[in-house]
Amino acid sequence: MLTRALATFVVVLLALGVAPTTGDAQAPIKIGVIQPLSGPVAASGNYVRMGAEIARDWLNAHGGVNGRKIELVIEDNKSDPKEAASAAEKLIVRDKVPAIMGAWGSSMTLAAMPKLEEYGVPMVVETSSAASVTKRGNPWVFRISPPSEMEALGLEQYVDKLGVKKADFLAVNTDWGRGAIQAFGDMLKKRGVQVGVSEFMEQSATDMNAQLTKIKATGGDTLFLTTAVEQITLVLRQGQEQRLQRKVITTGGSSSPTQLIKQAGAAAEGSYHIVFFMPWFPEAMPDGKLAKAFVGEWNKRGHPFEGLTEGFRGHDGIATIAEAVKLAGKDEPKAIRDALWKVSFTGVNGPIKFDKDGPAGKESGQSKPSIFVVQVRDGKVALPDFLKK
Amino acid sequence: MEQLLQHLVNGLVLGGTYALLGIGLTLIFGLMSVVNFAHGEFYTLGAYGTFGALALVGLPFFLALGAAIVLGALVGALCERTLLRPLRRESIDTVMLVMIGVWIAMQNTELLVWGGVARSIPHPFPTAPLTLGPLNIAPVRLFVVAAAAALIGASWLLIQRTRLGTAMRATFQDRDTAALMGVPIGRIHTITFAFGSALAAAAGALLGPVFLAYPSMGDLASLKAFSVVILGGLGNLAGATLGGLLLGVAEELGAGYVSSGYRDAVGFVAIILVLLFRPAGLFARAERVG
Amino acid sequence: MIVRVLLAVAALALVTAPAWLVSPYHLHVLIMAGIFTILALSLNLLLGYTGQLSLGHAAFFGIGAYTSALLALKLDWSFWLALPSAAVTAGFAGWAIGRLALKLRGAYFVLVTISFAGVISLVSINWMELTNGPLGLPGVPPPELGPWTLRTKRAYYYLVLAGAALAYLVCHRLVHSRIGRALVALRENEPLAESVGIDATRYLVLAAVISAALAGIAGSLYAHYTRFVSPEVFLFSYTVTMVIMVIAGGQGTLVGPVIGAILFTALPEALREAVAWQWQMLAYGVVLIVLVFFLPRGIVPSVARWRRSRAF
Repeated sequence: MLTRALATFVVVLLALGVAPTTGDAQAPIKIGVIQPLSGPVAASGNYVRMGAEIARDWLNAHGGVNGRKIELVIEDNKSDPKEAASAAEKLIVRDKVPAIMGAWGSSMTLAAMPKLEEYGVPMVVETSSAASVTKRGNPWVFRISPPSEMEALGLEQYVDKLGVKKADFLAVNTDWGRGAIQAFGDMLKKRGVQVGVSEFMEQSATDMNAQLTKIKATGGDTLFLTTAVEQITLVLRQGQEQRLQRKVITTGGSSSPTQLIKQAGAAAEGSYHIVFFMPWFPEAMPDGKLAKAFVGEWNKRGHPFEGLTEGFRGHDGIATIAEAVKLAGKDEPKAIRDALWKVSFTGVNGPIKFDKDGPAGKESGQSKPSIFVVQVRDGKVALPDFLKK
Repeated sequence: MEQLLQHLVNGLVLGGTYALLGIGLTLIFGLMSVVNFAHGEFYTLGAYGTFGALALVGLPFFLALGAAIVLGALVGALCERTLLRPLRRESIDTVMLVMIGVWIAMQNTELLVWGGVARSIPHPFPTAPLTLGPLNIAPVRLFVVAAAAALIGASWLLIQRTRLGTAMRATFQDRDTAALMGVPIGRIHTITFAFGSALAAAAGALLGPVFLAYPSMGDLASLKAFSVVILGGLGNLAGATLGGLLLGVAEELGAGYVSSGYRDAVGFVAIILVLLFRPAGLFARAERVG
Repeated sequence: MIVRVLLAVAALALVTAPAWLVSPYHLHVLIMAGIFTILALSLNLLLGYTGQLSLGHAAFFGIGAYTSALLALKLDWSFWLALPSAAVTAGFAGWAIGRLALKLRGAYFVLVTISFAGVISLVSINWMELTNGPLGLPGVPPPELGPWTLRTKRAYYYLVLAGAALAYLVCHRLVHSRIGRALVALRENEPLAESVGIDATRYLVLAAVISAALAGIAGSLYAHYTRFVSPEVFLFSYTVTMVIMVIAGGQGTLVGPVIGAILFTALPEALREAVAWQWQMLAYGVVLIVLVFFLPRGIVPSVARWRRSRAF
């Protein structure tokens, strides 16, 4: 009675085993991409993927890297750390990619990291903000996105100008949200700002009225909000319904102000947003020409404009890896890793160059990305009012 | 004190929508014994249906809501005819597994069709909240509560006062006798499933404009629906209604006074307590524990 | 006769797998399949033999994973102490749920298990001091055996294989013992079984404890393999996967869950190869529906029926 079942089992194993692997001369340079392409944050993962594809196409249009074309091998981590680790394993072992970009969320990234060390393949981290990513002593990790501490530092210079006296926090109950509350709370306390309550919301929650009612009662003047754009929309709308009149500052860079204006309307008016890319005025970015071209290409492909605030990460991640391959002269993982330390160029966000971060002897790389603040005024995204003075 | 009132009001509004989800599932799970993991997907279908009717077809808002509900009923009927009817002789676990497959398939189809970006569904109500003393409530939420109440009332009337409702209740109480009395069993099954799915779609259509439409919105809805069904007692419409309201209020108060992080835990703990001490549901009169 | 030969071949294939498998990636898939085999067997004890469905089984898996990881990380315990501790802790949780919930049957029991898993999940996310919340526990150390560290895939594979074999043996002995017969009696006709003196609650709780302990072992193995534990281990999708494996493989049989585990661990990975990422999950759902349609009793029972029908 086991006959059929065993046959199935063997067939499946064989299918996995004898499926052809690529590997021929004049082959393209493969770069692995691990992103959440399904599940609750599928939108963000797909934006990053779209940005990566633009980088690939641009590079190939200019002759590729070292004369070879770039090929992206894209895997879905399904917003599950177990899948992120499996995807990394498959990319490294089956597809033999010499470098990876991923994996968006911090727990996905952390789950994939042991595989990097096991096989000796570098990964460029493009979104994750947890401090632990670069502090684990994993010398194969290079991050171009800012950890929450860096973000908080980026805002520090504006705290007085914003007039923040007493702040409350509302964050999504993940490593990202908690990390942001920690980092921004510490920064504010250092500047003598009173910190009120810290409230949380589950990642899939849609009703935040309870938390907003509590926040309203503290008498603070500012609300720091860290979560994905869908929940920000809901919080702003529900805040409006409860007549929560205070300054709102969103952190994390995923707030997509354009989408907010579309979906939250008047409720978004006056809110401030920390972003890492300003597609509304690309000329103001460190490399204005590149930024403008990126926005143009994105629009040409019909991608939603609101995705630009995340899509650029995909571009910069791939561009960084490509730069390292160029410097290394070959697409071999260790050479690419060593070359990543020498990388110094300007991406869409700004200059990318890695500093050492983490325990001595096994440092990871951390770049210092540019951080910007924008504001929603008159239904449009503009530079903040306090900057115009 | 004002906080408490606001929490209560929020809780009742939320609870009304939980009730709507619950009564659809109590028919399907309670009467048909189908462990419908895809119930939340009909909720999602209702939201996207409204969005599609508004954005693609250009229907006026209330017609779009109606269209979404009809869509839910049609897809439900299709599901029952093609998947559930052939498997009717199989065990409850087999049917559950099929509905898991439907859940995965439906959700990923939504993802393919609409993409992962959340959609905002425009509604004609003013955004400024109505203020009654210390309380604030948005007009659209009042509409949702009113519509939910109307639908719940209509459902109750259907089940209790019409011949169709009698036929449904007869079928699930004693199939063979009902068949002998001339009740078209097959059709009743299809109608019941379609009706339950339509109610879930209605919940989605109503809540879509309040919140947002995105492919994974149904997962939490399924879980809350099952909770409400258990709280109220399987097959018990009034119980599901009251259970939904209770769950909504309990969650709001828990989030407001205990901890927002543990908000969903309130619902879970409530279920565990109810099941330990009153397993037939809070409001059941007859004992149906198995 | 043929069955015995094939069993021997399969056993030989599994034992020598690292030698003939083409790539470490496949070994990775087998390791995950092994861990899920233990999970499926554990769930099958409840579902297949007592007839009670636990939809919170991921809770025991997660409790095992966290216990093992925390003991190894915070108290520097050796893996060989952490694993049994994980089993004991998870077993205790199983006992608690069993005692509380096994007065209920059917849908009510299911709901309690779901709620229990939900509460545990929320605790793991919110109780930062103990579990580090959503930031998770990275750097869980691999097991050490004397002077060797079981860090390589090959070594870990044998560890998991041993674990799976042990789980299978435990289930086999249990099912074929008096206890097993009592459980089946309870499943088939509870009032009748009670009337001949079988204490339902006692036996069901026993099944729950063993089931949970096995799941805890799987959790510990998982934690020390992936070396990162986060609240996502409590994801409902893990429970759903286990349920699929047991029911599609064939509940109430011993081999069914094993087949189910291997098949449904290999399937998503095979889909990764075969299908573009946009269609992977949709294809998975469709495969599941088709499988249930053609083999509604599960793979192993359907094959058994086919063979029996062929005998005539």
